[in-house]
Amino acid sequence: MGGRSVLSRLYGDPIEVWIRDDRPAQFVWRDRLYAIRQVQDHWVVAREWWKTSDTDPGERRFWRVEAGANTGVGTYELRFDTASGGWLLLRAWD
Amino acid sequence: MAPFVHLHVASAYSLRYGTAFPPALVARAAAQGMDALALTDRDGLYGAIKHIRACHAEGLAPIAGVDLVLGPRSEHEGRHGRHESRQGGNEGLPGMDERRIVVLARADGWAHLCRLVTAAHHVGERGEPYVTREMLAEHARGPSGDARLTVLLGPRSDLGHAAAGHRDEEARALLAAWRAAVPDVVVEVTDHYGYRDANTAARMLGLADSVGVPAVLTNAVRHLDTSDHQVGNVLDAARRLAPLHVRHLEPSTQAYLKSGEEMGSVAARVCGGDRSRMARLLEETRHVAERCVLDAVEIVPLLSDPPGALHLPEIGGDPVPMLRDRCDDGLRRRGMERSKEARERLAAELDIIERKRLSGYFVAVAGITDMIRAMGVRCAIRGSGAGSLVNYLAGIGEVNPLEHGLLMERFLSEGRHGLPDIDVDVESARRLDCYRAILGRYGEARVACVSMMETYRARSAIRDVGSAMGLPPHEIDAIAKAFPHIRAKQIRAALADLPELRDSGLNDRSLETVFRLAEKLDGLPRHIALHPCGVLVGNAALRDRTPVERSLLDFPMSQFDKDDVEEAGLLKLDVLGVRMQSAMAHALDEIERVDGVRIALDAVPRDDVDTYDMICSGRTIGCFQIESPGQRELVAKLEPRTMHDLIVDISLFRPGPVNSDMVTPYLEARHGFRRPSYPHEDLRESLRETHGVVVFHEQVLKVIDVMTGCGLSEAEKARRALDTPQGRGAVRDWFVPLAEERGFGPATVEKAWKILDAFGAFGFCKAHAAAFALPTYQSAWLKRHHAAAFFAGVLTHEPGMYPSRVILDEARRCGVDILALDVNHSGRDWRVEKTGGEPAGPPPEEPYGEAAATGESTGESTEELTGESLTLRVRPGDLGPRRQDVDLGGGVDSGVDGGPDRETGGFGRGYGLRVPFSAVRGASEAEVARMVAGQPYTSMADFWERARPSRPVAERIVEVGGLDAMYGLHPGGPRWRPGRLTRRDLIAQVGALDRSSAAGVAAGRDATAVQLPMGFTERVTPGELPEMTEAEVVEAELAVLGMDVSRHVIGFHDELLDAIGVVRSKDLLRQRNGAEILVAGVKVATQTPAVRSGQRVIFLTLDDSTGPIDLTFFESVQAHTAATVFGSWLLVARGVVRRTGARAVSLRALHCWNLVDLDELWRAPAPHGGIDAVRARLEERPEPGGGVGGRSIEYDNGYRLSPYSDIGPTPGVRDAAAFLAHPAEPQRRVWHASSGSSGPTRTRTR
Repeated sequence: MGGRSVLSRLYGDPIEVWIRDDRPAQFVWRDRLYAIRQVQDHWVVAREWWKTSDTDPGERRFWRVEAGANTGVGTYELRFDTASGGWLLLRAWD
Repeated sequence: MAPFVHLHVASAYSLRYGTAFPPALVARAAAQGMDALALTDRDGLYGAIKHIRACHAEGLAPIAGVDLVLGPRSEHEGRHGRHESRQGGNEGLPGMDERRIVVLARADGWAHLCRLVTAAHHVGERGEPYVTREMLAEHARGPSGDARLTVLLGPRSDLGHAAAGHRDEEARALLAAWRAAVPDVVVEVTDHYGYRDANTAARMLGLADSVGVPAVLTNAVRHLDTSDHQVGNVLDAARRLAPLHVRHLEPSTQAYLKSGEEMGSVAARVCGGDRSRMARLLEETRHVAERCVLDAVEIVPLLSDPPGALHLPEIGGDPVPMLRDRCDDGLRRRGMERSKEARERLAAELDIIERKRLSGYFVAVAGITDMIRAMGVRCAIRGSGAGSLVNYLAGIGEVNPLEHGLLMERFLSEGRHGLPDIDVDVESARRLDCYRAILGRYGEARVACVSMMETYRARSAIRDVGSAMGLPPHEIDAIAKAFPHIRAKQIRAALADLPELRDSGLNDRSLETVFRLAEKLDGLPRHIALHPCGVLVGNAALRDRTPVERSLLDFPMSQFDKDDVEEAGLLKLDVLGVRMQSAMAHALDEIERVDGVRIALDAVPRDDVDTYDMICSGRTIGCFQIESPGQRELVAKLEPRTMHDLIVDISLFRPGPVNSDMVTPYLEARHGFRRPSYPHEDLRESLRETHGVVVFHEQVLKVIDVMTGCGLSEAEKARRALDTPQGRGAVRDWFVPLAEERGFGPATVEKAWKILDAFGAFGFCKAHAAAFALPTYQSAWLKRHHAAAFFAGVLTHEPGMYPSRVILDEARRCGVDILALDVNHSGRDWRVEKTGGEPAGPPPEEPYGEAAATGESTGESTEELTGESLTLRVRPGDLGPRRQDVDLGGGVDSGVDGGPDRETGGFGRGYGLRVPFSAVRGASEAEVARMVAGQPYTSMADFWERARPSRPVAERIVEVGGLDAMYGLHPGGPRWRPGRLTRRDLIAQVGALDRSSAAGVAAGRDATAVQLPMGFTERVTPGELPEMTEAEVVEAELAVLGMDVSRHVIGFHDELLDAIGVVRSKDLLRQRNGAEILVAGVKVATQTPAVRSGQRVIFLTLDDSTGPIDLTFFESVQAHTAATVFGSWLLVARGVVRRTGARAVSLRALHCWNLVDLDELWRAPAPHGGIDAVRARLEERPEPGGGVGGRSIEYDNGYRLSPYSDIGPTPGVRDAAAFLAHPAEPQRRVWHASSGSSGPTRTRTR
């Protein structure tokens, strides 16, 4: 992963995501629609519940996807937070 | 498609790892439509039997395996650690980098699995088992080379780590090595949705495919539900002794028992959507599962009825005639040849034993008890086994069941599920010797001790969660200790319910998470320990049936607990260490040493009037089973005169009978205040011995048998069912028509049923009580006739509930002299010395022992060794229905010399008890041995040089007067004594000696060869330092010895106590019922037992040097008293006198105060202090209320129980457990406490 992270850019922008068959199918980022062509990786990380006062702060689900817009194809890392129900675009290799 | 099978599942028996119990996992699997389930706990088969039983019950096919470290541990940590550190950097903590594999037993591989686990524990350090590839090669095959074990190489295996590190060549080589070593190897892929989990799984799958090795999918299950992962995190931290931090945790949100459908999604991820690969993965998983299904009944024979094959010891011959011969010999030896009753009973018992093919067990046990007795160890039968004539005749026990009307059916019967359990009590101090002898006789291959799981309770859970959450250790300690010994899941309820916690500051929000998580640990096993008594005696195949590891004391220990062992068809013998047996053995040795008489205790007549007189007067502190405050009250009311009375007394003193109020009707009928009533004339025979009240299980059996004619075996089955509400319903439906059919009228049947319903589950097995009654009587007899020797035994072995200082006080009251520590006279343990009736030892200005012992009536009995100064109202002949005729025969006792009946004291006169070296705090066994071996000593320097005590120990010995006799020191009196040596001078000399030895060492000499300046004493100026005061002496004694030897500590407060008008214990009997009085004393014990009302009631016993005072704190006063009761040592209390019997008085407490606080107030200058301020304080009348919360537990028959009641095991059992926890060190405690809370900010007085 070391090589790739140098080329990726960090964002953390809230985005809107459409789900199909329990996986993201397309998302809108900076007013542009991206169609997801392939899920490259998907993992889940539990929140550090002992640092919060919530009984269950939930987990964060990460998706690394290959997606295309009319400008071209890139790889994007999306994150879904089960507690807040919100999606972020964390980083992009494009 | 066939259902998915989980092949890698950890239950709670994976210590500090898993969170679900086997039955819950099995039930979930069944609910998900699965038809098989594996259990593969970490490091052992601790849960395997429970798993197999649960599978059998749910109709699932059981699979068993184990999850083991691939070792040796140090090796791979060195070799692969560097790779790891580049990627994650977790290698610094134990366990983060371990390699693990899962090994499943194939259908015929249970024995191989057991032996592999045993080998893994044998090769590793205790508690750190591991296997190597070579060990698996050795264990994985049957005799013909066929595979018996299946090895799963998963992501945690060496293979998995290589694959995750993209070291494909290494992974390929490892897989080849595994295939060469073990016939059945599969690759295990798992995906917990962690970063790159799926990636690693795909690589492993590719590797398996390229080599042609089957691959299986598992979920490496830790939890039942995903929400359990927080508990998993805490356990990870606790296991690694690390704070909660992502670095120390294994993410486990996905490691739950997923459904087949969910596992399908996992398979899809792992196979990258390749549908045919997915199908093959699931198919291969299914294949492996199918060839690993075990035969449940073969492993757990008791699942079938009649049970499958039992695994009895080989005894070198046909056991049937051997047992018959032994019993015939027994008939002759016990003089019962002519008894028709005995012969018939014997024939019936042997018939059942032989039909159950258990003769070999009895022969083996008899051989063991013979051997124990031949070692000179006291040995007594306990429990239901006492009801068997075979046990009596074979010499296993000394209780004749015919004499007491005991039934065998409680022990062994046709319809009884399970195996008979013979329990024997041996001297606690020799128990391990007995184990070693059994091991020596049968060999390690055939014998193993039974284990037990220690589980999380409130305190341990708070400790582990507290440290995981990073709280400072001293805070954790204080928080944990604030709680009573309750279950972890009661923590937050206790905070709300208990007055002493409610106002403690523990309700702080910041602790909320700690408590919430601690509650979740409730009941989880935390470590395995040696069961206090179970010994498995099997045959050469024992280790094919159970895995064995080593206990802390290096005994072979089965991984099964006592229930598992029985279910697995293994026979066990309970050899329980009983401290009272050791205490009595010590007493007998002392009697022989001092008086030259060897007493055969088992042969002592069991009808000694003096002994029963002492018991009736409630003077039972120190005696087995009858010393607690409640029992002292009960014996005083019941007035036992025979062994049978003692048996009834012991049976009545249990939560059940007390709560069902069996005691009052029994006492009324016994003393003739009420006519005994019988539901029917036919039941008179069974119930007469207890005046119509059902006290014993045996009577329940007889009642059922008489009313239904079903036979005793069937009756025993019915009795067992009475334990549960559903069971009672079923028994009723069966009982009522049968009894009516036999011609009993509906009213009679209803009455009989009411008795069974109310008392059936609470009665006590009479055989148990009979077995207990013997040592009870024997201990009382020793106390009455050889008091000093008896107390020497009790103080040495601490068998009872009271701390040493209470026992010492009781000895004093019996007229025994207490002799101070003396370097020339003390021994290792408490010893008896003849004092010839003269108070010896302490200087003459210390008349304490005498005065306390006899009050004003010292005069005539001083010279008599067993002074008969008893004036008891009840004589043996007075008992029975005519009791009311002699009631209030108060005119008989003189009553002139104060304390009409209670002064039975003085029977210990003429002997003294010498404080031993082992009582000195911090003295090691080696030091004690040197101090004893070097006697006699001529000077301090001589003692220092030859006994070589450590400096603090030497100082403590001087502090408590160990050299007083040598130097003629007399503390007390004037502090400054120029020219006369003082204890403080000697303490200073210890320091000088220590410095000069240190100088010698520094000069390069071996410490033992240092030349001491022998004339050293001359250099200390005598009288340079002040002598200790009497108060300082007692303070030192309490600090060093844990007891006040020279005088009673309450004596220092006499002036204040007299000023406020405190009533002393010896005068309590003269108080009228209902009087409101003040009492004071040292706390002896607090108990919160189960009581009838379902309240939490605190029983407090104080001791004021003239005797014990018993107080009861009901919930209404606990709000303002509980913290003081639990948090103070010296107390003043106000209470209302309740006369509960002729010689029994207790107080209903209204308020209490810490005496130390009152003393301070008294000494403070007016107007804030002084006597008037104390009086004002004592006049406080707090509003009642705000008591203990919490819903009481209510039973069907109205029996209610406070959730904070102490319902622990019987004292004997608890002692054994305590002994195991601290084999070498007696617990140093100054008072007894059960289940109370000591309060969060306990300040120890002194």
